[in-house]
Amino acid sequence: MTADLTELFEQYYGSLVRMLYRRTGDRDRAEDLAQETFARAVAAPPNNPRPWLFAVALNLVREDGRRALRQGRRLELLRTDERPEQGPENDYERNERSSAVRAALALLNERDREALLLKAEGFNYEEIAATLGLSKGAVGTTLARARRRLVEAYQSEGRGKHVAS
Amino acid sequence: MSHLDEGTLHALLDGELDVTEAREVQSHLGTCVACGSRLQEVKQFLAEADRLVGALEMPAGTAASAPRPPRQSPPPSRRQLHDPETWDETPVLMVLDDAEALARRRRWFRALGWAAMIAVVVGGGRALLSIVGHGSLPPAHDITMAARPAPPAVASPQETGRPEPPASPAPTAPARTLAKNRASAEKTNPEPKAAAVAPLVDSARDSADTAAGEFADSAQSETETLAAVGATAESVSTDSVARDTPAKDTARPEDELATRRAAAQALAELDRQRRRERAAAATAALQSAAPARADAPAAMEPPLPRTPEQRSQVYLRIGLDEAAKQLGAPVHVIEGMTPELIGLTYGRLVPGADPNRPVVRVVYVDSRGRMILLDQQRLRAGQTPSAAEGSLRWSAGDVMLYLRGEPGPDVLRSLQRRVR
Repeated sequence: MTADLTELFEQYYGSLVRMLYRRTGDRDRAEDLAQETFARAVAAPPNNPRPWLFAVALNLVREDGRRALRQGRRLELLRTDERPEQGPENDYERNERSSAVRAALALLNERDREALLLKAEGFNYEEIAATLGLSKGAVGTTLARARRRLVEAYQSEGRGKHVAS
Repeated sequence: MSHLDEGTLHALLDGELDVTEAREVQSHLGTCVACGSRLQEVKQFLAEADRLVGALEMPAGTAASAPRPPRQSPPPSRRQLHDPETWDETPVLMVLDDAEALARRRRWFRALGWAAMIAVVVGGGRALLSIVGHGSLPPAHDITMAARPAPPAVASPQETGRPEPPASPAPTAPARTLAKNRASAEKTNPEPKAAAVAPLVDSARDSADTAAGEFADSAQSETETLAAVGATAESVSTDSVARDTPAKDTARPEDELATRRAAAQALAELDRQRRRERAAAATAALQSAAPARADAPAAMEPPLPRTPEQRSQVYLRIGLDEAAKQLGAPVHVIEGMTPELIGLTYGRLVPGADPNRPVVRVVYVDSRGRMILLDQQRLRAGQTPSAAEGSLRWSAGDVMLYLRGEPGPDVLRSLQRRVR
């Protein structure tokens, strides 16, 4: 188990943090949640590690989000990374686009959003199904809806901004 | 073939259709203009969506590009990677903040333990009475308190020793309490006694049921044995009450003897069961290639002696740098003492901490071998440490600190003054 776990960590930590960052927009939180996920893997070594790890991580995000909502904090998804970044000019544009994407992503329903994020981490349909508790046949439809909504939301967001300015 | 739905087109583009499906879809696309143009549209959505998600990159030089190892100390040994929740006995410093935090896994053990204990008490109460002798009479509601399988939700630093029912063969405090209560009940009026016993039996039965039920979920191979134990515990408690209640003051000694023997058997069986499980855990740990037990959430227990990590419930040892990174500030230490180890523990085990984030734990052992823990967690924006409970929890800058340990509160307070 021990060797497995080290291996798991090396294999999936980066991907998990990236997914969590995309989901939460907060690097520190993404790292904390990834750590907690691995801590749980230590407690109960998973059988099918990748879906397991990502499912646990997404659950943690949901729990965390619910708690934050109860405490009246702002919706996490709309939060952007507060830390200042290096290289001002390029990053300004990039930040703008990131927050637009994040806002679009926030408009999706939970399952669609998660399916998209998992796909972006190279999950195949079977793994997505295992992680989200879907049937494999439903993954195509879920992704189809998710992708369409994301693009449409992003585009209408852009238009909205354009009109406003 | 009817028109292709969008999901199928996505599956096709994602390469997720099997050969026959793909062939069918392709042949349809060859003939259907409408589906062909939808495929083009889908392609665009897919590419654009992927691009958008891909645009959510983390700031440069972060973990995703360069995975950070979880520790700086040497690779973990088996013993280090051991889940505190599966520990055999309640750790000395174990503090659970709320009822939610009570591990489901530990519950059935405890429940079973109490069930067996109650069986002994109910069955052999009369006998115990003569052994234990008399003392002051605690209030009657202690009976139900004793019967509850869950431990108290919060323990202060001085409430460290918690009874571990299944492990202790001799009757402990709850047993005595019960015996005394029975004595008082008998003296005054036989009715309340029956009433007091009834909820006990119910809870014993519930415990046994829950125990058997929950265990069946988590482990397969030994279910029968445990169920048998549960059944034994249940039948013992039922039997003994059946005998006890109507007989009242005229209970025959051979009945008592039989009951006690049955209860002892139940306890012994429980003991054997736990030993078997430890052995099974050892075997499972050795067969590291066999992930079969993965989904049964580690209802196993280690055969190994307890390490400092286990004693202090640290799931991962870390170095000073790593700890400082966790805290976003240098680690607080007790001046003049050398830490035994620094590690991470679960936030949910530390009252006042964010349960979803790890807590940095600096572990000290004083000259008398007593363990002292200095827990630290970075506070999130909006998170305020509820420092109401005594002065041993406080915050320094953005870090919540909590000093606990086996020494008494006075010692801890003097140590607190040396925390830097």
